[in-house]
Amino acid sequence: MEVIGIVLLGLPMTLLVTAASFAFGAIGGIPLMLGLRSRHRVVRLAVRLVVDVIRGVPTIVWLFLLYFGFAIGVFRFSSLGAAIVGLGVISSAYLAEMYRGGFATLPKGQLEAAQALGLGRRTTFVRVLAPQALRTALPSAATYLMALIKDSSIASTVGVIEMVAAATAYSRQNPGTAGLTPFLAAAAVYVVISVPLAIATRRLDARLSRSHA
Amino acid sequence: MNQNLITESNEIAHAGVVIEHLSKSFGSNRVLDDISIIVKPGSVTALIGPSGSGKSTLLRCINLLETPDAGTVTVGSQVVTAGRRIPERELLALRRQVGMVFQSFNLFPHFSVLRNVAFPQERILGRSRAEAEERALTLLERVGLKDKAHHHPAQCSGGQQQRIAIVRALALSPRVMLFDEPTSALDPEVGVEVLAVMRELADAGMTMIVVTHEMQFAREVSDHLVVMADGHIVEEGDPAGIMADPQEERTRRFLNAVLER
Repeated sequence: MEVIGIVLLGLPMTLLVTAASFAFGAIGGIPLMLGLRSRHRVVRLAVRLVVDVIRGVPTIVWLFLLYFGFAIGVFRFSSLGAAIVGLGVISSAYLAEMYRGGFATLPKGQLEAAQALGLGRRTTFVRVLAPQALRTALPSAATYLMALIKDSSIASTVGVIEMVAAATAYSRQNPGTAGLTPFLAAAAVYVVISVPLAIATRRLDARLSRSHA
Repeated sequence: MNQNLITESNEIAHAGVVIEHLSKSFGSNRVLDDISIIVKPGSVTALIGPSGSGKSTLLRCINLLETPDAGTVTVGSQVVTAGRRIPERELLALRRQVGMVFQSFNLFPHFSVLRNVAFPQERILGRSRAEAEERALTLLERVGLKDKAHHHPAQCSGGQQQRIAIVRALALSPRVMLFDEPTSALDPEVGVEVLAVMRELADAGMTMIVVTHEMQFAREVSDHLVVMADGHIVEEGDPAGIMADPQEERTRRFLNAVLER
């Protein structure tokens, strides 16, 4: 059972990388979403290109580029830094797309009602449109978060000692059939985190759709 | 609902609306062609006509939800001239005077009924939350919906939602109210509740412009009837007179179509 203990040593790092890069993406997605919704065609196209490029490059390539290929003067990314920024940038692009989708499905009447009441542009956006768009984006954002928990294992490729890295290290020291057990242990821990999250998301979604429709 | 909807509204001086030479095109489609209308303060004008006649667009030009290509819109002493980019300050000043009720209610689904009515007052009139909610509750009570204050719009029927939408607009003490087919999305029985509130508002002397297919309402409540088709005013005048004896063939055809349904 020591194997579970070893794998769990990586759990805090798994959670840290996931939470930090999701937070990065949740905030970074806002300016990208604004760009995707810009009134200016040039801005829209430029941001669209950025988002598609970010999403088009595999996660592991992003992490390698940041970790091995990025240097400004003496500045270089640490393992953890590269993992958080890399996964964060990718998350920004995906979440921007989800936010945009949330706004796109808002009934036109919501904007018009706010305008007709005489609410200013900022108030209309922040208090009327954004909460509804976020609510629409919530299920897909939660699904993305669950995928991100698992994708955080890619951080092991640049030297972050999260669960999969811990399992790999244990496996190398214990060849043979015992070598698979740390990965099974890691899989179990991922499931134990993901399933409750999925249940919580469905509950929240059901509660919101009852009252907010 | 014996008490008048706007009895405490001594702050309200109802404004007239003057539309002069208003034109609006969507692409090559000329939806409004040189329209001029005078709506006297405290009067009710009904806009009728087949779909695509431009009556909704005309209504939406009055609070600048649509930007007219040419012409002027005057509400009270506020004059807006079209044919240029209208600055937000001017838009807000005009909309401040004009309330609007939509066919699809457009309540904010993430707010409670109370917040729907109170929030705009806080933002636009700078009222405190307590003050705004007190006024909201007073108005909701007058349309028989005080018990819905802490529900969400989705938990209310269509007729209730539309009455809440009317209250939301009235809470800002508009000087003119615009109604864009307010009962078209409602069952006839439910529409009656909404029409009753509108009738009361008209009796209280609110200036109202109503796009509607409710001929009985137009005949009984409105002071002035405007018949539109293809972006033009076909005929206007006394509602009962026009309905009894339309002068124009286009009016006759439209009225027959509506009445035969």
